[in-house]
Amino acid sequence: MSAPRQPLRRVVVAGSGPLGILAAIALRRALPGCEVVVVGEAPGPAAFADHAASAMPFTNKLHDRLGIAEADLVRRAGGSYRLVTRLAGWGGVGHEGLLAYGETLPSVLKTAFARNWGRVRLPGEGAPSAFSLAAVLAEAGRFAPPPPGEPTPISAVDYALRWNPAAYRDLLIEVAAGLGVIHVPVHPEGIAPGAGDEIAAIRLAGGDLIAADLFIDCSGPAAQLIAAHPRFAFIDWSASLPTRHVYLAAPGAPRLALEDRLSLGAAGWLSAVAGRDGTHLMLGTAAPLSRAAAEAQLGSRATGMVNLTPGRVQAPWLGNVLALGDAAARFEPLGPLHLDLAHRQLALLIELLPGRPICAHERAEYNRRSVLMMEGVHEVLALHFAAPAAAAVFGARPLPGRAAEVIDQFTRRGRIPFREEMPLLGQEQFALLAALGWAPGLPPAALATAAPGEAAARAAFEAEARAALAFAPPYEAWLASVLGAGVRV
Amino acid sequence: MGEAPTPVRVVVLGGGTAGWMTAAGLAGLLPGLARVSLIESEEIGIVGVGEATLPHIRSFVERLGIDEAAFMKATHATYKLGIDFRDFGRIGQSYIHPFGSFGEEVQGVGFHHWWLELARHGLARDLGDYSLAVAAARANRFRPPAEDDSLASTYGYAYQFDATLFGPFMRQFSLNLGVERHEGRVVAVERDGASGDVTALVLADGRRIAGDLFVDCSGFRSLLLGQELGEAWEDWAHWLPCDRAAAMPCAHASAELRPYTTATAMPAGWRWQIPLQHRMGNGYVFSSAHLSEDEACAAILAAAEGTPLAEPRILKFRPGRRTRSWSHNVIGVGLASGFLEPLESTSIYLAQMAITYLIELFPVGGVIDPRDRDAFNRLVDMEYDRVRDFLILHYHATTRDDSDFWNHVRTMQVPDSLAGKLELWRQAGRIAKYSDGLFYDASWIAVFIGQGLLPEAHDPRTALIDPNALARASERLRLAVAGEVATMPEHREYLAREAARLAEAA
Repeated sequence: MSAPRQPLRRVVVAGSGPLGILAAIALRRALPGCEVVVVGEAPGPAAFADHAASAMPFTNKLHDRLGIAEADLVRRAGGSYRLVTRLAGWGGVGHEGLLAYGETLPSVLKTAFARNWGRVRLPGEGAPSAFSLAAVLAEAGRFAPPPPGEPTPISAVDYALRWNPAAYRDLLIEVAAGLGVIHVPVHPEGIAPGAGDEIAAIRLAGGDLIAADLFIDCSGPAAQLIAAHPRFAFIDWSASLPTRHVYLAAPGAPRLALEDRLSLGAAGWLSAVAGRDGTHLMLGTAAPLSRAAAEAQLGSRATGMVNLTPGRVQAPWLGNVLALGDAAARFEPLGPLHLDLAHRQLALLIELLPGRPICAHERAEYNRRSVLMMEGVHEVLALHFAAPAAAAVFGARPLPGRAAEVIDQFTRRGRIPFREEMPLLGQEQFALLAALGWAPGLPPAALATAAPGEAAARAAFEAEARAALAFAPPYEAWLASVLGAGVRV
Repeated sequence: MGEAPTPVRVVVLGGGTAGWMTAAGLAGLLPGLARVSLIESEEIGIVGVGEATLPHIRSFVERLGIDEAAFMKATHATYKLGIDFRDFGRIGQSYIHPFGSFGEEVQGVGFHHWWLELARHGLARDLGDYSLAVAAARANRFRPPAEDDSLASTYGYAYQFDATLFGPFMRQFSLNLGVERHEGRVVAVERDGASGDVTALVLADGRRIAGDLFVDCSGFRSLLLGQELGEAWEDWAHWLPCDRAAAMPCAHASAELRPYTTATAMPAGWRWQIPLQHRMGNGYVFSSAHLSEDEACAAILAAAEGTPLAEPRILKFRPGRRTRSWSHNVIGVGLASGFLEPLESTSIYLAQMAITYLIELFPVGGVIDPRDRDAFNRLVDMEYDRVRDFLILHYHATTRDDSDFWNHVRTMQVPDSLAGKLELWRQAGRIAKYSDGLFYDASWIAVFIGQGLLPEAHDPRTALIDPNALARASERLRLAVAGEVATMPEHREYLAREAARLAEAA
C-alpha cells in the first residue's frame, strides 16, 4: 500500500531577493508544517531574475496560486501592464514587429479533455493568425485586466505585469512574514558535506551551521551553494550568446504604456521597460564601451555595468541542493525571460514536490524538464542574435539546439517545430521570428487554400477588434481610477 | 499567394485503410498542390484489423468536411469511450482506460495522489468512479462532450467501425475529389540512376504509373520502402511478442451495445471485442512462440459469445518500425512503416499522424528538402517510441504467472526509456511529463493503478488533509459524475437519434 512521502522538515533558501522569497512562500504554502528559512542578503544587480522589473504571463498564474494578488502589485508595488513588446531594428534599419502573448486555439482544443489527452494536431493546419487583439489594444491605449471567469471581448488577451523591484520585494517579504517564513540575514559562507551527494548544512558567517532537508540556491550568479557542490559543472553558452556587458541606467521618466521596446543599435541591444517608477533601460554589448559611449546609447546616466559569461549548470538539482534563477542559468536580460524561467522552474519543483528521502528518479525528472526549460531560453535568445541585422552587430554565431531548424522551417513553411518546455508558445515564437525580421513561408495547406478564407478571417478579426475596443477602457484613466486619489501614478 | 506551384504527382501504393486515408488527406487538404493517384489490386487482400480508433480520428474526419453521422452509418460505427482491460494485472481484475481523466488536481496535486491516500485509509472507491468517461462506459451511455471547461468536457470519444467499410468510404470520398485509381499489381519499380529516387511503378499489364512522390501503403510487404529501398527494420518482438491474430466476427450476443472496446488477457496474448452496430468484432492476438494457429482459432471460437459469422482468419504481423519512414522520395504510411499491435487501437492513429506530418512537410513543387525528410522521420520515431513503451507496460505490469507467455513478459528487460518511467512511478507516484506524442498522465495512471502496480509512496501534501474530509470531497465528485451519467442517453438510443437526424436531413 502506498503511503504519503515523509514531508520535508526544513528548507533553507539562500538569497533573499524576490526570487528567494517567492520560493520560500511557495514551499511554505505547499508544506505548512515545514520550516522555511531564508538566509543571506538579496543578491546584487548581476542577479537579473532578482532585479527584474517584469515577467511574462506565467508569473501571473503563479502569483495567483501563491496568494500574491495582482491588485496589490498594482496598488503597492508600482504595477503596470504590458500587452506587447516592440522589436525594432533586428530585421534591418526601420524594421519593426510586435510580440504579443497567448495562442488562438479552436474551442475544441480548449476543453478539459484536450488539456489531459494532449493537443490533437489538426491535419492541414495553416499558419497562426497574424492578427493580434493585444496589438490593437496597445495601439489604442485601451486596456484593463478582464474580470476572471466571465467571457468578455478581451478575455483571450494575455498580458504581463511590471513592477518596481524594491517594492515588489517588500510586498513579498510581507506575505512571507505572514506565512511564518524565517529570515536569517547572515551571509552563507560554505557548506558542510553530508551523506553521499547531499550536504548536511550551510555554514553562516560567524560559524553557525544551519541544517535542512533541502537547500534552494537563489543567491544569483555567485551560486553560493550549488557551485560548492562536488558535482557542480557549468555549461558555457558563450559561443552562441554574445552579450558580455550589460549597462544599467538611471530610470528615465515614468511612462504609462502597454508596450515595451527591445531595439538593436549599432553597439548592441537596448531594452526599455516602461514603469510608473520610471523607464528601465539596459544596454547589452559584446565589447566594452566607455562610460560616455554607453550613456550615449542609453540616453541616460549609466549607474552600473554587469559582466556576463552566459551558461547554465549542467544539473540544477544535485543531491539536496537545487539552484533557481541566475544561480542556475546566466544570460542577457534580453526580454523578461529571467523571472519567467525561474518561476517555471519553481512551479516544477512544487509540482514534483519531493519528500524525505529525495529519490533519484524525481530529481532526474526535475533535471530533465528544467534543463529543457533552460535550453529553450537559450534557443530563443540565440534567435535574436541570428536575426538579419544582429549578425552584423554581434558577428555570426553557431545556433544552439534546434534553432537553425526553427528558422529554416519558419522561413520555408511558416512552421514552428514543437519542442517541450519552451518559454514561448508556438504562436509567440512565430510572432518573435517575424518581429526579428524573418519572413514566414506559407504552410502547404495555406498555399492550397483559396483566398476567400483570408478575407473572412480578416472580417471576423475586425469585428472582434471593434468589440474589444468598445469594451476596454482607456488604460491610463482606468489605472488612475484603481489607484485612487493620493496614490502616485 | 504567389504563382501556383506545379502540382506534385503523388502515387499511393495500396488500397487499404492507410492508402485511402492518405489519398483522401492529400487530395482533400492540399488541392492543387498534390495530384493523387492510387494503385490497388483486388488480388491482394487488406489486413483491416483496425476496427477501433482513438479520439484523434475525429479531427481527421472533420477537417475533410465529412459528416459524422453519414460516416458512422456507412461504416456501421459505434461510439467509443475507452478500452476495458480484463485480467491483465491479474486474473479477475478489470479497469477501463478512458478517453478522459480521473478527478482533478487539488492544490496542485494530481487526483491520483489523493486517491492513493484515500485507498490507504480504505476510503477509496474504484478509480473509474471518478472518471466521467469510465462511468458512462460502464453504464453503456453516450453523449458527445461539452466544448467548455466543465465536468462534461473531461472526456473525448472515438469510433469503432468496420474496417472493411472504412477503406471503401475513404475511397469513394477520394474518388469524388478526383483521385485517380489504378487497378493492378506492381511488378517493377523504376528508379532514377543518379538519385536512386523512384520514378515509376510498372503494373502487371504493362502500364507505367510515373510520379514525383510515392507513398508506400502496401502493408507488411512494404514493397517500396522495405523491399525496393531496403530500409532497415527495427524489430521489437522481444518486448512485444504477439505476432498473430485469429479474427472472427460474431453476431451480437445480447441487446447491450458497449461504447467501449474490451481487451481480455489470454494465456498467450489477449483478445478483443469490438462492438459495431451490426456485429461484434472478435480476435485473439497471440504469440506464435507460445500458441499454434489452430489452438488460437479454437480458443477464439470457444471464447466468442455470439454466433460466429465467419471462420476464424489468421493475420500475421511483426512489431517494430523502419529506421526511416521517409527515404528518397518514398514515404511509408501504415504497416509499411511500422506496426504496433492493436492493444491500444493505435494503428489508424499512427497512419493519421504520418499523413498529418506529410501534409505539414509536403514537398511543394516536388523538390524534397532533406531537412523536411529528417523532421518527418524524427516525428514518426517519437510517436512510435512513446506508444511502444506504453504498450509494453500493459504486459509488464502484471503478477500473472499462469503461462510461459506471462512469465516472459513479466520478467523481461524493458527499454531504458520505460524503466525510468516505472521507477519514477514506483518511488514517487509521478508520471514523466511530455506534451507531444500520445498517452499522457491520465493514460499511464489508468494502466498503473488498473493493473495493480501501486507506487510505494505518493505526494507528501496528501497527508495534510483529514481523510474524512477528503472522502467527503471525493464522494461529491463521484456523485457529480454519476449524476452527469444519469442524464446521458443509452448508447444505442443516441446512435438511433443520430441516424434519424441524418435521415431527416436527407
